[in-house]
Amino acid sequence: MNLWEVFVDSEKELLGDAELELTIRTLNPGIHKFTYKRVRCQVSADTKQHADQLQVRLGRGQLSKNRYSIKVLGEVQRMPAKYL
Amino acid sequence: MAAPRSNREFIEACIKSGDAVRIKQEVDWENEAGAIVRRACELEAAAPFMEKIKDYPGFSYFGAPLSTYRRVAISMGMDPESTLPEIGREYLKRTNGEPIAPVVIDRKDAPCKENILKGADVDLCKLPVPLVHEGDGGRYVGTWHAVVTRHPVRGDVNWGMYRQMMWDSRTMSGAVFPFSDLGKALSSFYLPRGETCPFATAIGLSPLAAMAACAPSPIPEPELTGMLAGEPVRLVKCETSDLEVPADAEIILEGEIFPDYQVEEGPFGEYTGYRTSPRDFRVTFRVNCITYRNIATMTISNMGVPQDEGQLLRSFSLGLELEKLLKSQGIPVTGVYMHPRSTHHMMIVGVKPTYSGVAQQIGQLAFGSKLGPWFHMVMVVDDKIDIFNWDEVYHAFCTRCHPANDIHIYRNSPGTSLNPFASPHERKYSIGSKVVFDCLWPTDWDPVNEVPTLVSFKNVYPQDIQDKVTGNWTAYGYPPVK
Repeated sequence: MNLWEVFVDSEKELLGDAELELTIRTLNPGIHKFTYKRVRCQVSADTKQHADQLQVRLGRGQLSKNRYSIKVLGEVQRMPAKYL
Repeated sequence: MAAPRSNREFIEACIKSGDAVRIKQEVDWENEAGAIVRRACELEAAAPFMEKIKDYPGFSYFGAPLSTYRRVAISMGMDPESTLPEIGREYLKRTNGEPIAPVVIDRKDAPCKENILKGADVDLCKLPVPLVHEGDGGRYVGTWHAVVTRHPVRGDVNWGMYRQMMWDSRTMSGAVFPFSDLGKALSSFYLPRGETCPFATAIGLSPLAAMAACAPSPIPEPELTGMLAGEPVRLVKCETSDLEVPADAEIILEGEIFPDYQVEEGPFGEYTGYRTSPRDFRVTFRVNCITYRNIATMTISNMGVPQDEGQLLRSFSLGLELEKLLKSQGIPVTGVYMHPRSTHHMMIVGVKPTYSGVAQQIGQLAFGSKLGPWFHMVMVVDDKIDIFNWDEVYHAFCTRCHPANDIHIYRNSPGTSLNPFASPHERKYSIGSKVVFDCLWPTDWDPVNEVPTLVSFKNVYPQDIQDKVTGNWTAYGYPPVK
């Protein structure tokens, strides 16, 4: 089980069944904690729906009391090819 | 006492004077180190030198390096007991002389080259990058540092203190304001040409190099550092570019800025005392090489409510640089002071009011200068007011500034996205507003019959009565006045 975190303006951005593209950071212990990835994922308000857990922070870093589960489907490469 | 040439010499000097403490127990890089620094700032306590960091053996932290005037004095090689006017006069004396060019040393003599990571070994997570505040958008690599760039056309070097967040193992994102030197170079040169901009971030600088990176001076920072120190600063060439970096810095990150690719940055607790700027897509830095000293010390500034070095040092240098500017224009200023607790937003200017409109002239020069985006209030008082005494300034403001005639507002001027009062639109586009508080008596008032007389002990009693009363003060039964 991995623990992830996402920053959103509103938790409504996470609702619905559609596949999402999010920038999430790992909260797993270790020196890479808080590093980011851009991913395709599915998010559910049911914390048992997916194995990985997701917590949410709002615009100025406030931690939401709500928890979600998340399934990471794959990483998204946003960086232009010329820089890879 | 000589000015410390490196962060290490500075730490030792601060420990010797009681202005820094060694913390030997292990400290967590996640929040704990930041909380120690924050509390030290709010208490104006000794700077914490944290020698053992969780997960990062062989590294240490030095927090709140210049958040007190005592430590500013030590950084300049002065007595820690020096007063603020004394420190200010010394700054003006040193920075009004001839620029002192840096020297470039051989890389084998440069302490910052003791360890070098390149290629697949580059990983920012190998450095003890702290989570400074709970709720920050990330771990911040650069909080007290210099981002080194060279102007692509003019060739002049810029050291700027642009905050940098670790996004992943090789990527940082940072806030670079559009009116800053780097912001202008990116928008006017690199972006149109689609070229990346070489950069180097130097962390754990000598305190005077950090002071220079913070100062809005027209003098290039390497020369300014030399002027402040009274000797050339030692530079060394980067491993992956032609940039030169302070050889005695603790950690150097080398890489390139992508002008047309941005990743998320923030939010972050800032010098205004708030987490103001929204999370947004900002300038992206890719790190290609890391070099660092053995037992490297990472410097941490924890900005928030007063007072931290962001507020103190910016206030210090902004005030003194404005004084130089105003005097260069022949304005009869008697002093300029910016209180750190204004979070470097209010400039207090003392002037001999020999002609009308001088307050507005001061405001226009101040706001129209390179210094202008960093503050939005100018309060002008006459030369009888002690600009360092807030009680006197506040009294003058409340009694001499005519609400209808003496408050002058300037709209749609450059501002920063960090202004807490600004609307979301104003923050996004760095739109500011400015105000001048003219606390001078009008020059067309008869000074004898129309200007009110200040009723104070020092102003209304003859000197012999003042001397008699102060001489007999304890005899009257009062405790001595310090």
